[in-house]
Amino acid sequence: MKKRATLPAFFLLALLAVSHVTNLFAAPAAFANETVTIEELVSDMKKYDGKEVTIEGEAIGDVMVRGEYAWITVNDDAYSKRSLEEGGDFAGYSNIGIGVWVPKQYAESINLAGGYKVAGDHVRVTGIFNRACHEHGGDTDIHADSLEVTRSGHEIPHGFQYGKLLAVIILACAIAFLWNLRRSKIKRGKHEV
Amino acid sequence: MIFRPSREDMKLIGWGIGRVILGIGIIMTVPLVVAVVSTEWNVVLDFLVGITACVTFWLVAENTCHVKKDLTWFHGLIVASAGWLFAMGFGAIPHFLSGHFKSYLDACFDLMSGYTTTGLYLLQDLDHVAYGTNMWRHLLSYAGGQGIIVIALTFLFAGTAGAFKIYASEGKEEKLLPNVIRTARAIWMISLTYLVVGSFFLWLGLMWGGMAPGRGFLHSVWLFMGAWSTGGFAPQSLNLLYYHSFIIEMITLGIFVIGSFNFALHYSVWTGRRTEVFKNIEVRSFAITSLIATFMLSIGFGKMGLYTSLTEFFRKGFYNLVSGHTTTGNSTVFSTSFFGEFGFIAMCAITIAMAIGASACSTGGGLKGLRMGIFTKSLWGDIRRLVSPESSVIMEKVHHVHDIWLDDALVKGTMLIIISYVVIYSVGGLLGTIYGYSPSVAFFDATSAGSNTGLSAGLTTPLMPALLKVYYIFEMWAGRLEFMSVFALFGMGIALVKGRRTGTR
Repeated sequence: MKKRATLPAFFLLALLAVSHVTNLFAAPAAFANETVTIEELVSDMKKYDGKEVTIEGEAIGDVMVRGEYAWITVNDDAYSKRSLEEGGDFAGYSNIGIGVWVPKQYAESINLAGGYKVAGDHVRVTGIFNRACHEHGGDTDIHADSLEVTRSGHEIPHGFQYGKLLAVIILACAIAFLWNLRRSKIKRGKHEV
Repeated sequence: MIFRPSREDMKLIGWGIGRVILGIGIIMTVPLVVAVVSTEWNVVLDFLVGITACVTFWLVAENTCHVKKDLTWFHGLIVASAGWLFAMGFGAIPHFLSGHFKSYLDACFDLMSGYTTTGLYLLQDLDHVAYGTNMWRHLLSYAGGQGIIVIALTFLFAGTAGAFKIYASEGKEEKLLPNVIRTARAIWMISLTYLVVGSFFLWLGLMWGGMAPGRGFLHSVWLFMGAWSTGGFAPQSLNLLYYHSFIIEMITLGIFVIGSFNFALHYSVWTGRRTEVFKNIEVRSFAITSLIATFMLSIGFGKMGLYTSLTEFFRKGFYNLVSGHTTTGNSTVFSTSFFGEFGFIAMCAITIAMAIGASACSTGGGLKGLRMGIFTKSLWGDIRRLVSPESSVIMEKVHHVHDIWLDDALVKGTMLIIISYVVIYSVGGLLGTIYGYSPSVAFFDATSAGSNTGLSAGLTTPLMPALLKVYYIFEMWAGRLEFMSVFALFGMGIALVKGRRTGTR
């Protein structure tokens, strides 16, 4: 009886030891429920390497379809919430984004990718973060298991800036005046010769 | 005794700078056209303000500074060095008006970075930038790679006997053709031919990689301009990592290696002297230093154990190393990866490669392969002299288009420039360290700025201290002009204050 009880206990202990070494029970979904920022991912790549993570941000630039998959870029910086073109504030950096490798059908659900004229769709992506992806030549990327469009993108209105037009008109007048001055100087020079 | 420059000297310099600024206004018409075609009307206004400001300045200079004299060496040096500073100020107008820069200093930083083909940038929210603004970023890098003065010479200085003086003052000494203006045009011809061919292959690669033809075309032109000029700008904030494409990385690698070679070497090959590629001291120097740095890199990567396959070593290690060595700055990793993922040895390998840099009279920066060759050969000559009988005469030569015998004056001049580079790298690194950055990051970014490379380990951001921004602008400018013109400008400043009044030069 005693022998019967020790055997499973021994196996349980062995399994726990192995799992400690191999990270067997370090659930890939450890970061999946809470959204991780891309800044956190790239500044502590070791921590998240090979783990399932969830990011949320603006789809930016292009959707590049390659066979049954596609590359998208997701930015989750301050400008993904409100870009400088929409009147957002300076955040003190350029952009923070990451390439996401998604099945083609997910990529097709993205209607607008952000740029100068549009704010892109906001997406919520869950997938495996790779510090150096062996499938993609060492790229730092996320292989998405799911993608959900959380907010549709929209066109960014650019109101005409009349102040700049006024500056152009004033400078054009100065050019006209200076050009005439130069011509009359050249003419005068020729007469003197 | 120092003589104070006369009023006529100053007028002549002002007239020359006016022409350079007109050149800047002329090249702004290209992004203007892109903005019109893309219906980006506010960006159109940004460039119209920039162009009219440049033309106004030129006309003021023509009306007030025109004198019937030709440029001397002194004027050439000052026009080149001060011309770059004025060009920075005027070129920054559309950048600042775009609304993507916190301050005019930041816009000037990006302009100097573009002209000097450095590639560091402080522009914010790059991924929402207009096509017109992106075209300006890349075009000024492409144009700066040939040299702003070369642009001005090509169009605006025809018939000026002093043209060679300002050409040489921009850090270029080779005359491909007997006439310097024809030389400037030959440089443009070489660059434009490569632009058409290189962009075409990039366009095919981008479309194959899933990009739409229209955007793919623009990206191909921009990527070519960034790579050829060894500027390293790219239209998206992830730089080359955005494309996830081995093909695009291979093509850009080829472009920036070719772009980093001396224009005289290009011209030799174009005119049938193909063996020059194998004999040229700069090509040999580049091959040797690349090999040594690659060896260091492989040790560093081996120690870190992150990038394990040959493909990964090539795409993440070798690509960034050669990008640094050619002073390009195109990157396939996050900037934090240099510090966090590459490790100290690999980071050192890239820093050394950046410091050495590319070829003289090319689009690249750094100490230059020719100087490394002269330095090594003269050192070898000294060693041979030490072990040879006293009566023996030992002379060393380097092959650069033709054989050059090393004399004391040449070696002294080379050493002066090498020391100047080391000083600006070191001061930048120390300054960064004083501000509290990690020394390896501070020296990496300072070397990157001074050698006009553009890779960053994370120090260069809009939030960096203003003094560091100003110092990096100085580093980029002095490094690109290879110091002589900069020394001349400082000399003129001293002469204006302390010099004795005299006639014109």
